[in-house]
Amino acid sequence: MGAPAIRIEQLGKRYRRVTALRDVSLEVASGEVFGFLGLNGAGKTTTIRILLDLVRPTTGRAFIFGLDCQTQGLDVRAQLGYLPGEPGLYGDMTGEATLDLLAGLARFPVDPRWRRSLVDRLELAAADLKRPLREYSTGMKRKLGIVQACQSDAPLLVLDEPTEGLDPLMQDVFYALVAELRARGRTVFMSSHVLPEVERICDRIGLVRSGELVLVSTVADLRSLAGRRVRASFAESVAPPTAWPDGCDVIAVSPTLWDLRVRGPLGPIVARLAALPVADLDVQMPHLEEILKTYYADSPAA
Amino acid sequence: MTTPTLTLAAHSLRRIRPIVVGMAIVLGGFQFLLTQVAVFLMRNRAFGMLASLVPDFIRSLAGPSMVAFMSFGGVVSLGYFHPIVLASLVGLAIAVATEPAAEAETRFGDLLLARPVARHQVITRTVIVLTAVVAALLLVMTSATWGGLACCTPATAARPTFALIRSLAVTLGAIVLCWGGIALAVGAAARRRATAVGITAVAALASYLLDYLGRVWDPARFASRLSPFHYFEPMALLTGGALSGSNVGVLLAVAAAGTAAGYAIFARRDL
Repeated sequence: MGAPAIRIEQLGKRYRRVTALRDVSLEVASGEVFGFLGLNGAGKTTTIRILLDLVRPTTGRAFIFGLDCQTQGLDVRAQLGYLPGEPGLYGDMTGEATLDLLAGLARFPVDPRWRRSLVDRLELAAADLKRPLREYSTGMKRKLGIVQACQSDAPLLVLDEPTEGLDPLMQDVFYALVAELRARGRTVFMSSHVLPEVERICDRIGLVRSGELVLVSTVADLRSLAGRRVRASFAESVAPPTAWPDGCDVIAVSPTLWDLRVRGPLGPIVARLAALPVADLDVQMPHLEEILKTYYADSPAA
Repeated sequence: MTTPTLTLAAHSLRRIRPIVVGMAIVLGGFQFLLTQVAVFLMRNRAFGMLASLVPDFIRSLAGPSMVAFMSFGGVVSLGYFHPIVLASLVGLAIAVATEPAAEAETRFGDLLLARPVARHQVITRTVIVLTAVVAALLLVMTSATWGGLACCTPATAARPTFALIRSLAVTLGAIVLCWGGIALAVGAAARRRATAVGITAVAALASYLLDYLGRVWDPARFASRLSPFHYFEPMALLTGGALSGSNVGVLLAVAAAGTAAGYAIFARRDL
């Protein structure tokens, strides 16, 4: 089995008195789409910048495909495409000149057909690419950023807030692109604070809070951990049971409505409901947003 | 030379081409016109009159350089030590040398260094661009001077020799590269280009004034040795002195030290 796409070992970063990252360890498998979550200032971008060797860690090490990001940085960066959170583009350069310059710095030649396909999908017209970037909207700059990150078809894509500034239609195009890249065996490591997006496209997530990695999980495991919400309404008043089945947490109970959180199998609660005059039954899968908000809200010491 | 370095250098040269071309036209034009001014003054026998207008105490203070300046060769050579020309060339060198700071500030550097581009290649790019721009401008200036002398001056004129023009250009190039090297070191450490430009420009102004004080006021003479401008002596060349290898050496050594510091700082810093 090959080296993981990303391996981070006890990574720490201090800026004078501020600790940006503390003892972060993480592995991202090859071919995985990994969502790196956290509030602003949590340490997401610092982690990414250490992977790119733009920032040097105070402690720990980071590896990409088994190569040390610091000591073998050139070989590491030959294998990745990067979309910064705030791409610094020169307003006097055209989109095409920017893409050409960045393609010229790649170790392997960029396939013009692949680039054309990216440009077409993201609806950047040929005329747009001839215009100076100062005339681009925020969304167009983002699209150009996605093209420059993907154009070398690198095995690993590191994307910092990739859909920031994209309209909903373009977000869908981006999600389809990520799905295609995953199908082609590419690894995607993306930071985001848009939880529905992460829920939709990521296999696993990691959550950083105040510089610490507080959660790493698959999206499916996280949902099962949180449990499903079961709301049963009754045609006539019923008395609540004296004891609830295992795994049931009561959110609200009245004579005509039970609102419960059920972790694990639904069988026991369904069996209990079967004997009652149920008028309606609603079972909701938990949204990642609801689950993660609790992690965001917890204090680091909690 | 590696491909990324040349790619980056070509990109930087493309971006600054308008200002370099503009400066080449202005400085080249100025040098050419100075040859015509010198012809005009010679034909009107104005050099002697100009010298007589200068009070004796200033003439004694300035020494033979004043006489040298009030000559055909002095007027032709004015562009190689005129403070405005000097300031504009030093300013351009500072602007070029602080490109790494600009790239860090705008985050364009993130896009560059996310590729297989080593940090030292970014600095090497800057050194190449700086050297190429300074060399090109000096070449234009000397060509304009020589062209003006060759085409439009009477045979009786006391034309400066090509060796003198070349020596003036070399000493001017050395002081400009010196400040470029200092700016490179500052720019490699700075987060903002304006900070790097400001620090270097203030240092250049302070050292110019220090050198000036050292030339006219004995107590400041020793301290003026700390100023790079102390080693920039075009007047000595105009009065018949040879190009001082040690002066040029000091200026280029400062440039080299600044460049080395730039490499070391940029390699270690967080971007």
